[in-house]
Amino acid sequence: MKSQTFYTKRIKPLVFMAVVTIICIVLTSSLYLLTRERVAMNELFFMRRSILDAAGVEHSGDVEGVNSLYESVVKEVGEVYVVGGNTYVKLFKGPGLWGEITILVGFEEDLKTITGVSVFAQNETPGLGARIEEPWFSQQFRGKEGPFSLVEEGTAAAKSEMDAITGATRTSDAFKNIMNRAISESATLKGGQ
Amino acid sequence: MGNFLFPVAVFFAAIFTDNILLTNYLGMCSFLAVSKELETSAGLGIAVTFVLAVTTPLNWAVYYLVLVPFQLEYLRFIVFIIIIAAFVQLIEMVIERYSENLYFSLGIFLPLITVNCAILGASLFMVIREYSFITSFFFGLGSGIGWFIAIMAMAGIRNKLRGAKIPIGLEGAGIALIIAGFMAMAFMGFSGMIQIT
Amino acid sequence: MARGMVKKTFLTPLGKDNPVFVQILGICSTLAVTNKLANTMVMVLGVMFTTALSSWTISLFRKQIPSRIRMMVETLVIATYVIIVDIILKAYNPEIWKQLGPYVGLIITNCIVMGRVEAFALQNKPTLSLIDGLASGMGYGYVLLIIAFVRELLGSGTIWGYQVLGSWWTKWAIMVMPPGGFFMLAILIWVVHEGVMKEGKNG
Repeated sequence: MKSQTFYTKRIKPLVFMAVVTIICIVLTSSLYLLTRERVAMNELFFMRRSILDAAGVEHSGDVEGVNSLYESVVKEVGEVYVVGGNTYVKLFKGPGLWGEITILVGFEEDLKTITGVSVFAQNETPGLGARIEEPWFSQQFRGKEGPFSLVEEGTAAAKSEMDAITGATRTSDAFKNIMNRAISESATLKGGQ
Repeated sequence: MGNFLFPVAVFFAAIFTDNILLTNYLGMCSFLAVSKELETSAGLGIAVTFVLAVTTPLNWAVYYLVLVPFQLEYLRFIVFIIIIAAFVQLIEMVIERYSENLYFSLGIFLPLITVNCAILGASLFMVIREYSFITSFFFGLGSGIGWFIAIMAMAGIRNKLRGAKIPIGLEGAGIALIIAGFMAMAFMGFSGMIQIT
Repeated sequence: MARGMVKKTFLTPLGKDNPVFVQILGICSTLAVTNKLANTMVMVLGVMFTTALSSWTISLFRKQIPSRIRMMVETLVIATYVIIVDIILKAYNPEIWKQLGPYVGLIITNCIVMGRVEAFALQNKPTLSLIDGLASGMGYGYVLLIIAFVRELLGSGTIWGYQVLGSWWTKWAIMVMPPGGFFMLAILIWVVHEGVMKEGKNG
């Protein structure tokens, strides 16, 4: 009788907990391992699509289309991705409101005119700062030269103006700083730096 | 210099411009339930601040010293929630043992804290935003203080509203949510105060 | 009789015992993403999946779980299902996964999940618990989808990312910002309470 109460009081909860923990970990681990390859493929696909977007190259948007197009037009020279022989794309990072913002910026042959911008990673507030990922925001840079100054959302017209996002002043500001740094470094892109 | 000041900036941002309750809606359940009384609000606010300031860096340590080296990042949800629950339990035991007064004023809130989204939320934000250890501490502390300020302000306003006439349908949670909305607007006024770049 | 029970279990959380309107539960993790309809939909599906399956699992073992570690086991089971949601999203819908950020993980602390497990699954049979969990998730979900619909429409002029209102529409920036979520929920609760009150008086 005594040993039974000891068992139900101490041993059983411990064993039960251990079994539950093991089952949970085995379940999640196997699922993780099953999907690992897919996740890695997704990452690569995102990177390649962002590079093509930044270079202003039209693509189909699906995995095979992007991968085959990427392999045929992009050459990786050091840290710079040369697209189609005359567009130079590079990764730039900078602090955002909450965490790092990683963007890809593409320049034309003259290393001044921007072919496009794409956001690769960001942690800004959903619906506010995170709108830097929306197409209208990144497409506004096409054909512009900078260095940029912020204007109210929807009013940017000159080559040195960019739309800010309403309600996300600091994210817009941070984005402007990264863009301007990218512009100041753009002259060295041909050397593959 | 930027790196040195970053934790301080995050600290103030977490209190004012990006208050975890008013901009991320984290910790709403206990916020709505408890903010009727000023005293209990203060108790819960202090408990939340304390637990946030400790568990955020604690989870940072476990994440970067244990989970990342063994490539177990995907288990972080389980690990974080267990650490938080265990820590809260530990605090409860310590307080119960050494200070009866504190136990009666604070202890009753501790079980409420494990299920407070703000605690787990801060740890998850800390991982996603890749904060350093020091920054995590300041972020946790700042989020806690921000939560404390928000619930105190709410309790004060609700106290004043006691005699006011409110449409029947809005009584209780409805009016509290509208007040929270105005508070969120007021806190948005702080933006521009802090520049993290 | 069993059939009536199932129907009642299913309908109560959708109507008169709605977790959001009546109990104001579980708004923490999802209200933050209600400024976009698509994100809200994914979050709601995640919550439904977690609530239903956690209730089912706990109910299955309700007689075996030692009462002293009940909460720990429940948390563990819930966390496991949330991780499953997270991994599946990351692999099959990475775009939305990236936007949701930490909010998927926060389903763990969503009061509805734990609330249904504690209040229903511990006393009822697995199938019934599954239905209860699913219905609670749905009752919670449709409220948030209404909020998301209005916030996205007024705040961005879009529905599900598609432009609905033309350029003549002045976007209500406040709707996509945090205060918009508070106001929308408050208004919705007001309307529902006012409606229920009147119904009660007439009956």
